Amino acid sequence: MKTYTLDVPVTPPKEYESYFVPVPKEFLEDAYRSDDFVVFTGPQHGGSGHMRLIIRVKGDFIVEVIPDPGYVHRSMEKIAENRLYIQNIPLFERPSIIDFGNYNLGYVRAIEDALDIDVPERARYIRTILAELGRIGTHLYDAGILAVFLGHTTGFMWPFALREYIVEIFTRITGTRITGSFIVPGGVRRDVDAKTLDMIKRMLDALEFRIKKFERVFIKNPTTIARLHEVGVLTKEEAVKYGVVGPFLRASGVEYDVRKVEPYEAYEDIDWDMVIGEDGDGYTRFLVRVEEVGQSINMIRQLIEYLPEGEVLSSDIIAFNKNDIRGSFFEAYADMVLPEGEYTTLTEAARGTLLYSIISDGESTVPYRVRIVTPGWVYLKGFMEACKGHRLADLQAIYGSFGYFPPEADR
Amino acid sequence: MADTASLVSILLDRILSIFVDEMINIPLINPIVERLMEIPFVNVIVAFILWKPIFHVLILPGLLGMTLALLFIIYFERKITARVQWRVGPKEVSRRTGGVIQALADGMRYLFQEVIVHRDANAFYFLQFPLISFLPVLLPLMFIPAGGTYGIKTIYTIPAALALISLIPVFIVAMGWASNSKFAYIGSVREAFMYFAYEIPFLLAVVAMIVLYQTPDPFEIVAKQWILGAVMNPIAFLAFFITVLIATSRLPFDIPEADQEVAFGPYVEYSGIIFGLVMMLPYEKLYLLSMLSVILFFGGWNGPEIAILGDLAPVIYLYIKTILFMCVVSLARSIYARYRLDQSLRLGWGVVLSLSMIALFISAGWAAWLRL
Repeated sequence: MKTYTLDVPVTPPKEYESYFVPVPKEFLEDAYRSDDFVVFTGPQHGGSGHMRLIIRVKGDFIVEVIPDPGYVHRSMEKIAENRLYIQNIPLFERPSIIDFGNYNLGYVRAIEDALDIDVPERARYIRTILAELGRIGTHLYDAGILAVFLGHTTGFMWPFALREYIVEIFTRITGTRITGSFIVPGGVRRDVDAKTLDMIKRMLDALEFRIKKFERVFIKNPTTIARLHEVGVLTKEEAVKYGVVGPFLRASGVEYDVRKVEPYEAYEDIDWDMVIGEDGDGYTRFLVRVEEVGQSINMIRQLIEYLPEGEVLSSDIIAFNKNDIRGSFFEAYADMVLPEGEYTTLTEAARGTLLYSIISDGESTVPYRVRIVTPGWVYLKGFMEACKGHRLADLQAIYGSFGYFPPEADR
Repeated sequence: MADTASLVSILLDRILSIFVDEMINIPLINPIVERLMEIPFVNVIVAFILWKPIFHVLILPGLLGMTLALLFIIYFERKITARVQWRVGPKEVSRRTGGVIQALADGMRYLFQEVIVHRDANAFYFLQFPLISFLPVLLPLMFIPAGGTYGIKTIYTIPAALALISLIPVFIVAMGWASNSKFAYIGSVREAFMYFAYEIPFLLAVVAMIVLYQTPDPFEIVAKQWILGAVMNPIAFLAFFITVLIATSRLPFDIPEADQEVAFGPYVEYSGIIFGLVMMLPYEKLYLLSMLSVILFFGGWNGPEIAILGDLAPVIYLYIKTILFMCVVSLARSIYARYRLDQSLRLGWGVVLSLSMIALFISAGWAAWLRL
């Protein structure tokens, strides 16, 4: 295609300067002079989430996507430096409140590493159940967002309704729908009774049955396949190069899952498969997560079946009433001091590898520094690269296929 | 003075005689009408309202009927989508009736909202186009007859109506141009692309039916449909149905106004009652195309006669069939995701165009066979 440059004097609107956007003036002027068109999408846009995407398009094809994240940044790491270790648990699940099991788990395991706390078997199992339930919930949430980005409103409503099962289970176990803060150093807050376990089993059956219906209406829908197939392809090499993590890395054919590589909690005791895709396109990224929901359901069933009897709190933490921490919180955790050093854990959260690194000075009851690397931030680069060369309408499809979640990325 | 009075009365009588010649005959309200016709001046007004062209354009299936149909179809669409999606749908406004007046309440809310005209817009055209876009909506109603009533009676009514309906996208593109905003621009370009993709198969599908009946006169077309047109030429109906979906921006082809991609495209800058008006535009188009498809494919106003309704009965048959067709179209919203622009262009210029060509051949075959 032959391109014609218009040699007319152009001045980009003044708003570009007052917006404080991360693009130089020359970029805009250059785009204005050539055939290109710069579109500002977000942060108040139906398909951008809490961030701005500066898209340079040539005709209908995306040349470059420059993200402008940080609209939901809460300075989590700084806040953590002024709080007790135990107070940081509710803080650190804020990046992704629907996936609180995994976010609690990573932080609490770092503390347990530091203090050499032995966690009872039963508590390990309950923690794993929470983590996997959070994974199912998050994958359903992301499926809903993907569906609405493709304009499929039924595909948006159904997963949100299905997530109610997960939320209901959370209510029965932890007492809240989201933000459970249930995992504490040394175990979990309180025990789960047999009635609740039975309910979880039945709810999972109902969930599985309805996911099959969802498969008919959205996953196997010809329009969905048309929109996602061969869109936003990341090859194996690219996915590794841009540091994509989690299900999106596995969709490109890389076999990496922290749960398999460095097993923690009860993942070694149960039988499950790592879900691997091949094509690395949007549809594979979606299917990998759909398969993971099935895997998680199986894992929870096994965990409930093999759930050992016993206490749910370590004797290192509390000497009496080892099935319920309520009433003993202050004496158990208020004076917790970590020995000097740096403690790092890797966790496989729903959207990918989650890193917590606690640095302690060995004498204060608050952390000296906490570093948290969330999967959302890590795969932002992969998402931007996957958009290149696709059509403008594909931006939202690729966005949805990555399940990008700005609060998680901005922390 | 006496001269003037007599002149006025002669003039009124003239006017009255024009109206009375073509008054709609409804036995149900005849006693009232006869009573009113005895009163001077009032008789002119009554005769004017019941004059077939005016009744057709203003009452049923015209402006009033269309407004009611749109209010109903918006409510129905939201309710049926909600049922599919395990929700309840609109309910809070007028709980006792199940939220029937939700669409009306939304319209009232729009009426009290501020209409913002942004600095970059070409204010004159920006405000003008939503209002004059009613022209290509209401004028086709003059040409599409409803059995008992009709606006302009010629044998070329269907081509004339098609020509006027085809003007609607021009107004949408113009609105996007007057908005002078990036998303509006992208949306307008998409609308223009889609317009060319569906218009030719759409016209071919209608031409196929005209060839099948060997006349463009709707009265003859309806009279000839002892077998439904959709059965005689299902391919033409399929092509017509898909092009109706594209033309009215229903969901698999909701591309020009994709709210997640271009935030309602050409309508992005509109607010208040003007937004309400432009959002009705695709629905109004759907109403017109549904009426056309009922005439071409579903036997138009054919149905058992009801003596008490007289001329109104066929109008009501057409109206009900139109609403049923609109209900079927509105189901697509809860089933499909949105196609990409290039995919729907490929569909329009490829599959649908071929379908309409095949339909043309089928119609030609029928026509040749029926003539023998």
